[in-house]
Amino acid sequence: MDPQSSPAAHARAPVYAVVGNPNSGKSTLFNALTGLKQKVGNYPGVTVEKKVGTAYSQHGQPLTVIDLPGTYSLAARSPDEAVTRDVLLGRRSETPMPDRILCIVDASNLERSLYLVHQILDLCRPVILVLNMMDLAARSGLNVRAARLEKELGIPVIPCEAVNGKGVIEVKLAMSRAELPLPRHAWNVPQAIASAVSELQASLADNDAKLPLSARAEALLLLTDRDSIQVSGSTPLSPQTAAILTGWQRRWEREGTDWSSILVQARYDAIGKLTTQVVLRTPTGPSASDRIDAVVTHPVWGWIVLGGVMALMFLSIFTLAEYPMNWIDARVAGLGNWVRHSFPEGALRDLTTDGAIAGVGSVLVFLPQILILFFFIGLLENTGYMARAAFIMDRLMSRVGLNGRSFIPLLSSYACAIPGIMATRTIEDEKDRLTTILVAPLMSCSARLPVYLMMIAALVPGDRVPLLTKVGLMLLMYGLGTVGAFTFAWFFKKTLLKGKPPVMIMELPPYRLPGLKDVGLHMLERAVVFVRNAGTVILAISIVLWFLAAFPRAPEGAPAGQQLADSFAGRAGRVLEPALKPIGFDWRIGIGLISSFAAREVFVSSTAIVFNASHSGKGADAEAAPLRTALRDARWPDGRALFTPLVCLVLMIYYVFAMQCMGTVAVVKRETNSWRWPAFQIAYMTGTAWVLSLIVYQSGRALGF
Amino acid sequence: MVQDNSGQTPSRMALTDLPAGASGRVMALEGEPRVCDRLREMGFCESAVVEKIGGQGTLLCELCGVRIALNDRAANFILVERVRGGA
Repeated sequence: MDPQSSPAAHARAPVYAVVGNPNSGKSTLFNALTGLKQKVGNYPGVTVEKKVGTAYSQHGQPLTVIDLPGTYSLAARSPDEAVTRDVLLGRRSETPMPDRILCIVDASNLERSLYLVHQILDLCRPVILVLNMMDLAARSGLNVRAARLEKELGIPVIPCEAVNGKGVIEVKLAMSRAELPLPRHAWNVPQAIASAVSELQASLADNDAKLPLSARAEALLLLTDRDSIQVSGSTPLSPQTAAILTGWQRRWEREGTDWSSILVQARYDAIGKLTTQVVLRTPTGPSASDRIDAVVTHPVWGWIVLGGVMALMFLSIFTLAEYPMNWIDARVAGLGNWVRHSFPEGALRDLTTDGAIAGVGSVLVFLPQILILFFFIGLLENTGYMARAAFIMDRLMSRVGLNGRSFIPLLSSYACAIPGIMATRTIEDEKDRLTTILVAPLMSCSARLPVYLMMIAALVPGDRVPLLTKVGLMLLMYGLGTVGAFTFAWFFKKTLLKGKPPVMIMELPPYRLPGLKDVGLHMLERAVVFVRNAGTVILAISIVLWFLAAFPRAPEGAPAGQQLADSFAGRAGRVLEPALKPIGFDWRIGIGLISSFAAREVFVSSTAIVFNASHSGKGADAEAAPLRTALRDARWPDGRALFTPLVCLVLMIYYVFAMQCMGTVAVVKRETNSWRWPAFQIAYMTGTAWVLSLIVYQSGRALGF
Repeated sequence: MVQDNSGQTPSRMALTDLPAGASGRVMALEGEPRVCDRLREMGFCESAVVEKIGGQGTLLCELCGVRIALNDRAANFILVERVRGGA
């Protein structure tokens, strides 16, 4: 490259920000531009995901690309949107203001999409406009004339079909240009608010150190950004400017001027004029999307389709995942055995095998289920069905004060609460989001399955559990958890997290064939987060729990149960016994409860150790056979049987409600940014578990069971 | 046009009351300013034409060729005048 051509470009490769409406194909374009060269982190102080990737220019020069959260407007309504606004305006100290903006719009929905573009053009910065979904636009009878739009706006406008890679090279070529023109963007601010805008603009330039060009954009934004959501890490407004703003707002309120609607209307008028020149419409009949919607959003058929999709998803999670889960289980066991045989006997070896490998392994085994879950979620989101599912569920969810957006997180929590809680990020209302996070772990996750299976085996007399009993009890537990989640959601929304009834406005994107690359990347991203969590938080907890169960050391030759009985965990079990006796548990069950605080399925293995059952074979069913005999033989000191059918039932109910998962605690802490909420969650869930267990046990006893 | 007691034309109603299959022109947005702003930015501007496709409690509408789901609380803020259909 000629060193004279552009000193600025040589000093540093330009940083691009990708912005667009939700469902405009923003992430697909970002993935197409950056491939696997992505880094996912968090904006400090807010739980908004920060995605930064590297694309390469036509000369092989690396270009930094930031994928900003999708938004309909720069006037932010949620923390996600506030981050987009603040990064674009250079209000965030940790993310330098991007040099250039890559604005992506849905060409089949140009009028609405241009609203955000209109606001962004005000910023007077180099913008590349990407017209995505040109194929969809053509199919719905729209001829979008990109060249005309380019001429009108004065910026590069590139037609594109990101999902099948068409136009991505052209986007890269435009991004590689050393110089980009500034937008030719003239529109008249309506008379009624013009003087306020110029006064604010002057004050922003003088008192808030804004560049004169972007000061006008910020002034306009202040007028539609009523509540001006502040997120931590963003610079607040100077007192002088704030005073001018309140002054004008008071005056307008007196005069009855709806300043915000005047401004929005003026933008839409300008956009309307533009689109009549740029978009040629040929009338077409109902689109394929409309025909699918006639079934999928139908009051009766819609539920049947949703039920079918859910059934297919759960069937896949519980059947397909079995093979890779067994494989991981075997590899983890193999690794443990290898370490056991290759290293000298001692505490360090036991720590590695029984603590680190067993602990992390017990969580990693759920990776296949989580991947299948995310495959389905990615597929449903990618095709556009997820918005329809949320639409169908909205009415049901509104009965407990939530809206349709909480459906996906709660659904995911049936497999595992961790991805479920991570999926709450799309919920705009902070209180709705928190409520969803608080109740998500009540949905029976797959880690409870082994516990349920073991207890059902111990509960039913005879050697074989009739299928109907097994399925019936299992459904009862799933139902109990679901009813619990909805009851608590209703209760929290009425008391602790009381808010206005939710407002839901959600766009239903047109149906599309899924982009498997996007779904794959989505799965990979989640898997990395999950494995990272298993490798850090869960590893640490496993080591601590191992220590508690292994120390102080029992004398040589003591029976297997002795070690655990005398350990710190065993002593803690005894300390807990007074609290456990009223619900029918003894200290040995207490050890199981303590050790399974890391993950619920640990209860099965620790119970096997405590009750001294030799177990062999794979899977909870096989494990349950010898263990069942041991459990039936377990007695209280006075000779009464410990595991009566009533106690087995109470234990299952306890596990439905109790917060017994460190992984969830860690993710709730991360998502809510405080220890307060996970602590509250442990208290209310385990408290409910205890109270319900007490009621069931004592009533059962009174009735003679 | 016949006027009712409130002085409004009878065809002016909340979007929730518009029969399914009918189209209405947005006359005004009345209610919480924050929600009204968001509705405007989503395209529910005064003079925009919206078609109500159906739904109970949560409505399904079409606006500028885009399908939008909104619950009755949001739809109650949107006052429309019926322009066609849904007789």
